[in-house]
Amino acid sequence: MSPPTADWIQLHDRFYRKQEIYTMLWKQVDLSKYMLAAAPFGGPLALVRDDRKVLLLQKQQPIKPSIYLYTSSGKLMETIQWEKGHIVGMGWTETEQLLCVLEDGTVRMYNILGEYTQFSLGKDAKDNRVIDVQFWGTGLVALTGSFQLIAITNFDEPRPLFLADPGINEPPHSWTVIPPKFTLSRHVEVLIAHNSTILVVDATEARDERLQQGPFSKMSISPDGKYLALFTADGKLWVVSTDFQKNLSEFATRSQVPPQQLVWCGTDSVVLYWDKIVLMVGPYGDWIKYTYDDAIFLIPEIDGVRVISMDKCEFLQKVPDATENIFKIGSTAPAAMLYDALDHFEKKSPKADENIRSIRLELADAVEACIEAAGHEISHQYQRSLLKAASFGKSFLDIHNADSFVEMCKVLRVLNAVRYYEIGIPMTYTQICEYLKMRTDRILIHWACSKIKKSNDDEDTICRMVVEKLANKPGLSYSEIAMTAHKAGQSKLATMLLDYEPRAGDQVPLLMSMQEDELALVKAIESGDTDLVYHVILHLKRKLQLGEFFRIINNKPLACNLLESYCKQQDPELLKDFYYQDDRTVDRANLTLMESFRQKDSTERINTIKGALRIYQEDKEHTFEVKAIEDSIKLLQTQVQLEKDYSQPFSGLSISSTVYKLITINQSNRATKVRGDFKMPDKRFWWIKLRALVEIRDWDGVATLAKSKKSPIGYEPFVEECVKAMQFREAAKYILKCDAHLRAGLFLKIEAYQEAGEQAFLQKDLDTLREIRDKCPNAVIQGQIDGYITQLASSR
Amino acid sequence: MSTSTAAAVAAASSPAQPTGAHLGHTSLNIDSLRDLARKELVNVLDSDHGVEKIYHLQPGPLETDCKNLIYICRPQVNYMKYIAEHIHTHTKDSRAGSYTYSLFFVPRRTALCEKVLEDEGVFGEITKGEYHLDLIPLEDDVLSLEWDSTFKELYLEQDTTSIYYAAKALMRLQGIYGLFPRILGKGDYSKALCDMMLRMRREMAVDDLDASQTMQLSQNIDSLIIIDRSVDMVTPLCTQLTYEGLIDEIFHIKNSFVEVDASLASAASAPPGGGSGSGTQSSATAPTGKKKKVPLNGGDKLFDELRDLNFAVVGGLLNKVAKRINADYEERHNAKTVPQIRQFIVKMGGLAAEHQSLRLHTALAEEIMNYTMTDDFNRILEVQQNVVAGIATNKEPEYIEEMINKQAPLVQVLRLLCLYSLVNSGLKPKQFEFFKREILETYGFEHIQTLENLRRLGMLTKQTTTKNTYGLVRRSLSLIVDEVNEHAPNDISYVYSGYAPLSVRLVQCVVQRGKDSKQPGGPGGKGSGIAGGNGWKGFEDVLRMLPGRTFDETQRVDDGQPRPSKRMNGQPRVSLVFFLGGCTFTEISATRFLASQEGGQRDFVICTTQILNGNTLVDSLVQKVPDLHASA
Repeated sequence: MSPPTADWIQLHDRFYRKQEIYTMLWKQVDLSKYMLAAAPFGGPLALVRDDRKVLLLQKQQPIKPSIYLYTSSGKLMETIQWEKGHIVGMGWTETEQLLCVLEDGTVRMYNILGEYTQFSLGKDAKDNRVIDVQFWGTGLVALTGSFQLIAITNFDEPRPLFLADPGINEPPHSWTVIPPKFTLSRHVEVLIAHNSTILVVDATEARDERLQQGPFSKMSISPDGKYLALFTADGKLWVVSTDFQKNLSEFATRSQVPPQQLVWCGTDSVVLYWDKIVLMVGPYGDWIKYTYDDAIFLIPEIDGVRVISMDKCEFLQKVPDATENIFKIGSTAPAAMLYDALDHFEKKSPKADENIRSIRLELADAVEACIEAAGHEISHQYQRSLLKAASFGKSFLDIHNADSFVEMCKVLRVLNAVRYYEIGIPMTYTQICEYLKMRTDRILIHWACSKIKKSNDDEDTICRMVVEKLANKPGLSYSEIAMTAHKAGQSKLATMLLDYEPRAGDQVPLLMSMQEDELALVKAIESGDTDLVYHVILHLKRKLQLGEFFRIINNKPLACNLLESYCKQQDPELLKDFYYQDDRTVDRANLTLMESFRQKDSTERINTIKGALRIYQEDKEHTFEVKAIEDSIKLLQTQVQLEKDYSQPFSGLSISSTVYKLITINQSNRATKVRGDFKMPDKRFWWIKLRALVEIRDWDGVATLAKSKKSPIGYEPFVEECVKAMQFREAAKYILKCDAHLRAGLFLKIEAYQEAGEQAFLQKDLDTLREIRDKCPNAVIQGQIDGYITQLASSR
Repeated sequence: MSTSTAAAVAAASSPAQPTGAHLGHTSLNIDSLRDLARKELVNVLDSDHGVEKIYHLQPGPLETDCKNLIYICRPQVNYMKYIAEHIHTHTKDSRAGSYTYSLFFVPRRTALCEKVLEDEGVFGEITKGEYHLDLIPLEDDVLSLEWDSTFKELYLEQDTTSIYYAAKALMRLQGIYGLFPRILGKGDYSKALCDMMLRMRREMAVDDLDASQTMQLSQNIDSLIIIDRSVDMVTPLCTQLTYEGLIDEIFHIKNSFVEVDASLASAASAPPGGGSGSGTQSSATAPTGKKKKVPLNGGDKLFDELRDLNFAVVGGLLNKVAKRINADYEERHNAKTVPQIRQFIVKMGGLAAEHQSLRLHTALAEEIMNYTMTDDFNRILEVQQNVVAGIATNKEPEYIEEMINKQAPLVQVLRLLCLYSLVNSGLKPKQFEFFKREILETYGFEHIQTLENLRRLGMLTKQTTTKNTYGLVRRSLSLIVDEVNEHAPNDISYVYSGYAPLSVRLVQCVVQRGKDSKQPGGPGGKGSGIAGGNGWKGFEDVLRMLPGRTFDETQRVDDGQPRPSKRMNGQPRVSLVFFLGGCTFTEISATRFLASQEGGQRDFVICTTQILNGNTLVDSLVQKVPDLHASA
């Protein structure tokens, strides 16, 4: 076993290591002849012959190119026959879908099984061709032949978005994108090396950073989006912050030729690649050089760089702190002492005890450090010996929570399994951390879907296989699996599988595509999700004949209610049909009636109302409504006449308001006539007349009304309306006509204290008398009232 | 780099209400819910900077210099149309250049809205997203979905969308606070909500197996009580007589803001309670110069003290506070030494805020007083109280007739008439025809639809039976309490000066077991645990008289037995009361009063689909017609 530090190289104050992970399974792949894109986190590689590079045509190679999907260990997973045009760029999304951008602006998105969907970058891209493209995990930016930038920021709903015109008329020396999550504006920004400067372009503007150091032939953004590495024309590597405010480092490579690749290794060093030479430059200008025999390809990861060459896959990274502490030569860190102690222990040396004693206080930390370091090791031996050291240290502790130990063992099992060369995913501990909590369900579903697609067994067998495998996972969603079967043309299988779906709502989309319309609606209603019901209703509406549509809806109350409220807002005509076929007389009539209120022309309006009337007349129980609607027609006709006679607007007013208005324009006789026409009750007419007369301050009119006959509403309203109009003298005229017990209170309201007192005295109302006395400002009257009070009090 | 962005917002109240931290109404920490909502809003807006202008989403073209527009709104058809109109005008105007549109639905995107956007031909122009804001903490003990249209939607249109949202929101609460061990309720829609929650829990295993397995019974919430508004339509029709209730009746409180005359509000130019952000924003966008929006919430200490009181005692209390503040100011004369003066200065900051708040509430109380002194108000109140108390005379219908004859606002008339109808199981046939005719002839024939709406809801009907169900319920649950001490109330009936809201009485049935189990009301009813308690037992008869189903479900965790709700170190147990279809401020006050009777043993957190009152409720049912003379 070679010492763990064998492949370490010091770069200033830190160590880097380059470990071989795989010997490639592929044979004789000359990377220099291919265009290559690799998914991050140890993901797969996509290779396609680079048609700009000359390739000797060999016998066994087909003329039409193919896209090959390989694992990191060089195992071929899938071959995609390529029959479309020239691929400008390839990249991977964060959901591991391969993107191929074509010259004509078409973007194809392949999953790992080679199935694809596609969309276009728009007409502009098609007309001017796409000349280059840059990707990030959730989007891409394409550069067109007219030097315009088109961005896609969401692959689920791809919508080409034009960025601001960078204003250049030649291809940039180099360019890159800052993903939205790293920018201040949270929109994607594009950096373009133009002349000696850099242009920063977003959706609204292109800003010139006014740099002198260019032209920059290569650039690269650090994995955390904070720094930008640039390669200048005079061969300098220059690192600045992405806002160009901070100058971080400069390093002269003394190469006039720009590197083929410039990538970040973690966030603190930069790796450059020229033909067969790799140069890693640290932040303090230190460097390491590696040489290769053939072409290689660098894949930046969040914590290092994957190096793919013809015969191996290596990982170049900064030695993690935990590892460095333990293995660095001469380290006296507690964890190193612990690791050393285990060694002594195994050799039966008493130094083991000495070591442990010396770190007694930090032993718990040392155990944790060994556990962590185990996570960072690729070699199984070191994983084991580090865990052993942790376990050894643990036994000296009185209390120790073994959770992290157990957890790490689990993680390492997963890591070792995915790293196994047949699987070929060389993930690191740092990379995998956040993915470990993933649900197994997704994986099982994924498995079942692939099974269905690839299997040649009959439908019953597949169904049994799937169900057996998933049986111990109650609550797992079968609808996606069933959908896959349906798409694969296995409808029977789809139906069988769908029966296992526990969620009503999830069955709906598949039932819809299986043409099981009514069942889909039933399931949607069952789910309680009204929007899902809408979804089905609207789908059925588009698809079916009206009669058939109503037949399915009619016996389902929720569907009917929802259709009704949708129609009220969006489709009144459909609503009429719906009411008609369902015999809903009242609704149909009211709907027609309400329509009339939106019509300006009165003839038209009357016609519509008559329509409503006819509907109501269909039924005998609606005599009240029939009468009311007849009245409303009569009212409209009357109003038309009134508008002619008095050139004033009347339509829209109610009967009461019409009468009221007539009185306020001094047309009392006409008001009386209208009142008669509609048989308005006496009480209402008197109220209306009284209020209207008060409004126009026609006090004589009020008096005449009061005298005309015995008021059906009494005389209190006369007093109160006058009081409200602040006409106390007028009000006084009617108080004596009111009920005796009310008079005192009414006089008090118009501040007639003397009269109020007299009336209260007559009624023997002591409480009111006292109230009057308190409010009265006049001492003489007060005296008088005091008199009444004594008189009444003594008579008790 | 500035990419000018504007946000147009509709009907999504700000989750960042300027309330103080934990106000101590309940032992439940609502902050976690509030933080969640706030964090997601930041995500929606991409970051906490960048939005330059905020507009209210309304019909008509949107004129703005900003090129990136973010819409945040409810998934409602009318909003989709407004947005489509904006886009159409932008597209037509060639000078305008290109805009980008993002639309965030609160709480989720719907197929319905997408269809409308499609129909309008703007679907492809908009990037769509979701902002999962459901229950908005109006206070630490009041969570509302703030779906204003729920009542009409649920009971008239029978569109159960709000039940679905309510169930989702309650599931989310369970996700935060643990499973509610017991779910009780009354009413058919309540039952539907409960069933949906139980089903969602089963289905949750599909979404997130781990979460569903690790979900524990809640430590502090021991029950959810769901009250369906259709069980008690009477209460919202009554005039609310608490301070907050009256403010709502007169000025209408919307999303815990009230719009008042600027002159009134100027008394409190800097709203107390640290009204930053949303507070100032809303007032800046008030439509007229004369009105001003003022926040009303527990951050204002004085308001917190007054809100639940019967208005009759508010004047006296304001007076007392005024005197105390004055005395505090006078203390400055005693401050002689420099440290004393410094101490006073420190204190003065708080005094000034208190003073501001005192000025605002004195002004509001005065306005309310002016209103409650009017004859009309008092006569309506008298009629109303006689009606609910079942004192049958001719005076009540006569007064309603008089109101119509005086052309009083239709909503006022209907509110009283419906109350009359509900309490008497309908109007006598002749009376019914008479009032219908009076209303149509006075307010217009379009109200054929209004009357039909009210009939369907059972709020205004023809009497078919002489059996007076309401009378029986009133007696069994002692809804009318004659002796009300507004100053030191001993029963929830103080909120309506003598009428106990039925809805809250039902809650009381569950949580309180008096010595006489038939009488939940009255003093001395002391609580016992709900989780192991008797639920509705003892009230079956009266519950049978009320519409809808009664239920009592127990939720268990997978390991079998329902756990006895162990109280965490003496913390009070919490009951969640969900008013499906909306509740009034008085019902909130009454529920708080229940808590105060429990002597720290039990707290209540009130959830509702929206806050309503008699006016908003009735108004939503009144048929509106376009005014053809708008230009005349």
